[in-house]
Amino acid sequence: MPVASVVFALAIGAIFVLLSGHDPIAAYIDLFRGAFGSPYDITETLIQTIPLVLAGLAVAVAFRTGLFNIGAESQLLIGAVAAGAVGARFADLPGFVLFPMVLAAGIGAGAGWAAIAGYLKAARGVNEVITTIMQNYIVVFVMHWLLQNGPMTAPNALGTPASAPIGAGAVLPIIIPNELVPLTRLHAGIFLAIAAVVVFWFLLWRTPLGYELRAVGLGARAAAQAGIDPRTRIVIAMAIAGGFAGLAGMIQVTGVFHRVFDGFSSGYGFDAIAVALLGKNSPIGIALAALLFGAFARGGSIMQANAGVSAQLVSVIEAVVLFVIAAELIVRVLTARRRERKPLEAIA
Amino acid sequence: MTIDQLIGAGVLAATLRLATPILLAALGGVVSERAGVINIALEGCMLVGAFFGVVAADQSHSVVVALVAAMAVGAGLAAIHAVAAIHLRSDQIVSGMALNILALGLTSYLDYQFYGTTGTPSDLAGVPDIEIEPLAAVPFVGDVIAHQNAIVWAGLALVVLIQVFLFRTVPGLRLRAVGEHPRAAETVGIAVRQTRYWAVIASGMLAALGGAYLSLSVAHSFTDGMTGGRGFIGLAAMIFGRWTPVGALVASLIFGYGTALSFSLQGASIGDVRVPVQLLSTLPYVLTILAVAGFVGRSRPPAADGIPYETEGHA
Amino acid sequence: MIDPRPERARTAGTTAVGTERVPLLEMRGIRKRFGDLQALDGVDLVVNEGEIHALVGENGAGKTTLMNVLYGLYHPDSGTIRYRERDVRITGPRDAIALGIGMIHQHFMLVPPLTVAENVVLGDERGGPVLDDRAIEERVRGLEERFAIAVEPGARVEDIPLGLQQRVEILKVLYRGSELLIFDEPTAVLTPQEVDELFAIVRTLREEGKTLILITHKLREVMAVTDRITVLRGGRNAGELVTKQTTPAEIARAMVGREMKQLKARATPPRTEVILDVRGLEALSDRGSPALRGIDFEIRSGEILGIAGVGGNGQSELAQCLLGLRKVAAGTIRIGGIDISRDDPKRTRARGVAYVPEDRRIEGLVLAFTVADDFILGKQDRPPYAANGIVLDPAAILKAGGRLAVEYDVRPPNPRAIVANLSGGNQQKVVLGRELSERPKLIVVSQPTRGLDIAATEYVHERLLEQRGQGAAILLVSSELDEIRALSDRIAVMFEGRIVAVLDAASATEERLGLLMAGHTEAAA
Repeated sequence: MPVASVVFALAIGAIFVLLSGHDPIAAYIDLFRGAFGSPYDITETLIQTIPLVLAGLAVAVAFRTGLFNIGAESQLLIGAVAAGAVGARFADLPGFVLFPMVLAAGIGAGAGWAAIAGYLKAARGVNEVITTIMQNYIVVFVMHWLLQNGPMTAPNALGTPASAPIGAGAVLPIIIPNELVPLTRLHAGIFLAIAAVVVFWFLLWRTPLGYELRAVGLGARAAAQAGIDPRTRIVIAMAIAGGFAGLAGMIQVTGVFHRVFDGFSSGYGFDAIAVALLGKNSPIGIALAALLFGAFARGGSIMQANAGVSAQLVSVIEAVVLFVIAAELIVRVLTARRRERKPLEAIA
Repeated sequence: MTIDQLIGAGVLAATLRLATPILLAALGGVVSERAGVINIALEGCMLVGAFFGVVAADQSHSVVVALVAAMAVGAGLAAIHAVAAIHLRSDQIVSGMALNILALGLTSYLDYQFYGTTGTPSDLAGVPDIEIEPLAAVPFVGDVIAHQNAIVWAGLALVVLIQVFLFRTVPGLRLRAVGEHPRAAETVGIAVRQTRYWAVIASGMLAALGGAYLSLSVAHSFTDGMTGGRGFIGLAAMIFGRWTPVGALVASLIFGYGTALSFSLQGASIGDVRVPVQLLSTLPYVLTILAVAGFVGRSRPPAADGIPYETEGHA
Repeated sequence: MIDPRPERARTAGTTAVGTERVPLLEMRGIRKRFGDLQALDGVDLVVNEGEIHALVGENGAGKTTLMNVLYGLYHPDSGTIRYRERDVRITGPRDAIALGIGMIHQHFMLVPPLTVAENVVLGDERGGPVLDDRAIEERVRGLEERFAIAVEPGARVEDIPLGLQQRVEILKVLYRGSELLIFDEPTAVLTPQEVDELFAIVRTLREEGKTLILITHKLREVMAVTDRITVLRGGRNAGELVTKQTTPAEIARAMVGREMKQLKARATPPRTEVILDVRGLEALSDRGSPALRGIDFEIRSGEILGIAGVGGNGQSELAQCLLGLRKVAAGTIRIGGIDISRDDPKRTRARGVAYVPEDRRIEGLVLAFTVADDFILGKQDRPPYAANGIVLDPAAILKAGGRLAVEYDVRPPNPRAIVANLSGGNQQKVVLGRELSERPKLIVVSQPTRGLDIAATEYVHERLLEQRGQGAAILLVSSELDEIRALSDRIAVMFEGRIVAVLDAASATEERLGLLMAGHTEAAA
């Protein structure tokens, strides 16, 4: 089913390409080659994939608990800011001290920020969609303030608004030597991402807490009467989600940019929604979906340069995928309702 | 920091200008949610309105055609959301977000395909400002309102119109009933689904008008993603304004004022401390969270808002 | 504005043609099926003009379904409806309203933020597009005066009490010129005072020439205001009676009457320790009205206390309070001497309380889980399922699931099966396996065999009796009198939030129970 929706979306995309007078086959070949054509391209694709995986996990863990986490973007950004701030402030500390600090800062900031949304839902019934959308904008403006002639601003070679560089001890090293793949930027964050996927799986399917989160997501009332309080689980789920997203932000800072640039995120938090849904909120699925979107992101810019087809085609494809998934959900809901048409409600 | 920077005529005039797109999106939100449908795709409707308004203006050289085209496309996008939410009873948030992403991608894609790297043409037919001669001479007030765009005035007129419609007409009464208790409305013979369809389509048109304002009245061009979340801010204004048109106006003005201040106070300082203008910009969002959480009075949506309505038992 | 519909021009009173009375409404052979359930199986209903007609029966008898058919909310599978001597097809409420049939629903169909007057005229506003609040309030006031129904037209519905809200419902149907008014369980949310006021309104309506159908299970209402009675039982007719010529006992027997069943001779339990002691329990319903108005009872070890009563008299709320799922407004709940009335479900269960909820699909099970996972719901942090409290042991969970599935006769006994795919009976067995397998002290069981076939029902009963034999105290809430009488040692009857009597099983005849369930108080014994 997910494969079918991707194929369908690619077909729709091809139609758009045709309508604008270009050759869809050439466009898609460019897309593919840009993503996987050479070892360097593959590493670039992986670099895009890493934050997508983590953000996808952030959305998925919330979905599993019955929550809609649209705030992965802001959780990612706030994790990045925290990591960047700590990394720069204590830049002289040795790696084995600095790195755990930066790691904790990134994860903690994301977790705390997301927990606010969770608490508001649990304690006051506030729809988490509204809270997290609002939080997205708050963080964007706070970052503007911090990085545009603000408390965290520091000069850099490009002249763009950014923070001071993080200490060398916090930097994620490039893991492939230059001789093998020249100019590659693939960093050790990939190991963290893989570890996160494992943690996600382990948490949800091998711990009592994970069981409780899934129970709340699939049957909150049954869980409640069994002694699992949905309200506390909601807060915990959001905190965990925020932690994953914060980790994504932290990795972008320590692995790719080595400082915090204003507006560095190209919307990973939003793509993550499609990643989670396409991956059916499961570890392997999310990894694969993230790889697909990572390939789209990387290949899209090449496609634009070569075939003259806008890289935004990728967004169109993504949106169609999302819509098809929404339709899938519809079908599932419809068939479930038909099965559940209880005669009991009709009884005198 | 000077008084003029705070409440000078320039700031107030800018407030009206900045509030208008938010207001139009908020009005769309009010109409849709009063009928019980969460239209989270307003941002997308705004964006397609902005883009296709430009395309139509470019092709037809007529402002009227451009505005009509913009609202038509906005209505179309909203209609898709309506079908998904009302007929297919899907999760309104998921399908709405999908449409937003679609709108963003589609407009950016078509923008590149039509106008490439050169950008939209600079001689677009634009919506005219309305010069009110007698008022222009009045000090202060004249500066604020005598040179505003036609759509600004349209927005204010729509506030009155929609307020009257919702609370002083029979169709408005029925629409509110549908949003609060669709079952009750159905038992007295009101067509719930039909009402909701019209409401959602109208909301798309309003948002699209807001988008067209941005591209045809303010920027006279289109840039990718130029709505910048104003559709969501409109929803925030709707919530903060307690789902009434007048409330939406007040909220939009407050939000618009916040943004106007952040421009006006750039580089300003209180004593030695520079004014954190970007933090001012977070005000609308913080206020909305507080309002929805119940810390700033009661902010309660229509009772059946967001709940797909099931007609039961009919053949 | 003159109402153009010709039926309205008739004068009040019966259409007497000679001495023959022509019925206003004739429903014949109505059948309606929902999936597996035959809700109506060839039901007849004849209502004469100008009378107040009672439609009586227990839960599941088909009363509301029949009236929903009449009002066009359901389409009958077969059968005919004749109204004023003409065959009619009612495809929706609009048709019913056009005929002059109006329904006052049990769950009010009112829009809370709108005013009384706006609610009354909604959908039939009769004016231009402009909403003239003053005009419609005047119109509503006129209606109120004519029928002696008092409620402030300008008040918002959400601000007035439930008793007054009901009057708005009545005004709604009168506004549309209804001649035949259907009242669905009208006194469910009324205080005794309000009930008397309602009866006064009902009598006035009859004087004004209206015909009324009262759906009810309360004999007090039936005897107080009705002229004729139709009794339904299990989707079929069980009696047509004339109120003045019958007695509460006769009605109750028709409502409830089954062939006399042989009670299983069971040893009376020896007097054992009190496990559950409830005193002065009070609680509110979801709608905010009092659901429990001071409940006192106790259950001993090895005893089954059955709670009999028509649904909606507080039984659900009682079960929820015992488990900690509903806030206790006043009173105490003691288990082994400790007051648990403020405890949450987790703590309550830790004291050895098990719960078989009345809605197994939503409350009892996580349908999307596997059988094994549902067996451990609530126990996921305990050994052997989580060896050290931190890590789940899937092998152990599966093994336990397989064992329990066999022990509790789940078919198929596959712990990996998804619970949603099991039949109702097997789903209930999963619930039982989870709740009964750890020797609970107190078991709260609510409608345990609803929707189950005979084999599954017998299985459930056997397991409950087995627990009783092992010393558990069991609270059994059921609207099935057979079940109550077969299993209980003592039977408490709930009516309008109170326990109106506690009987030994031996002396609880069907007739006695039927009377008590319908609110008929016995002379002090």
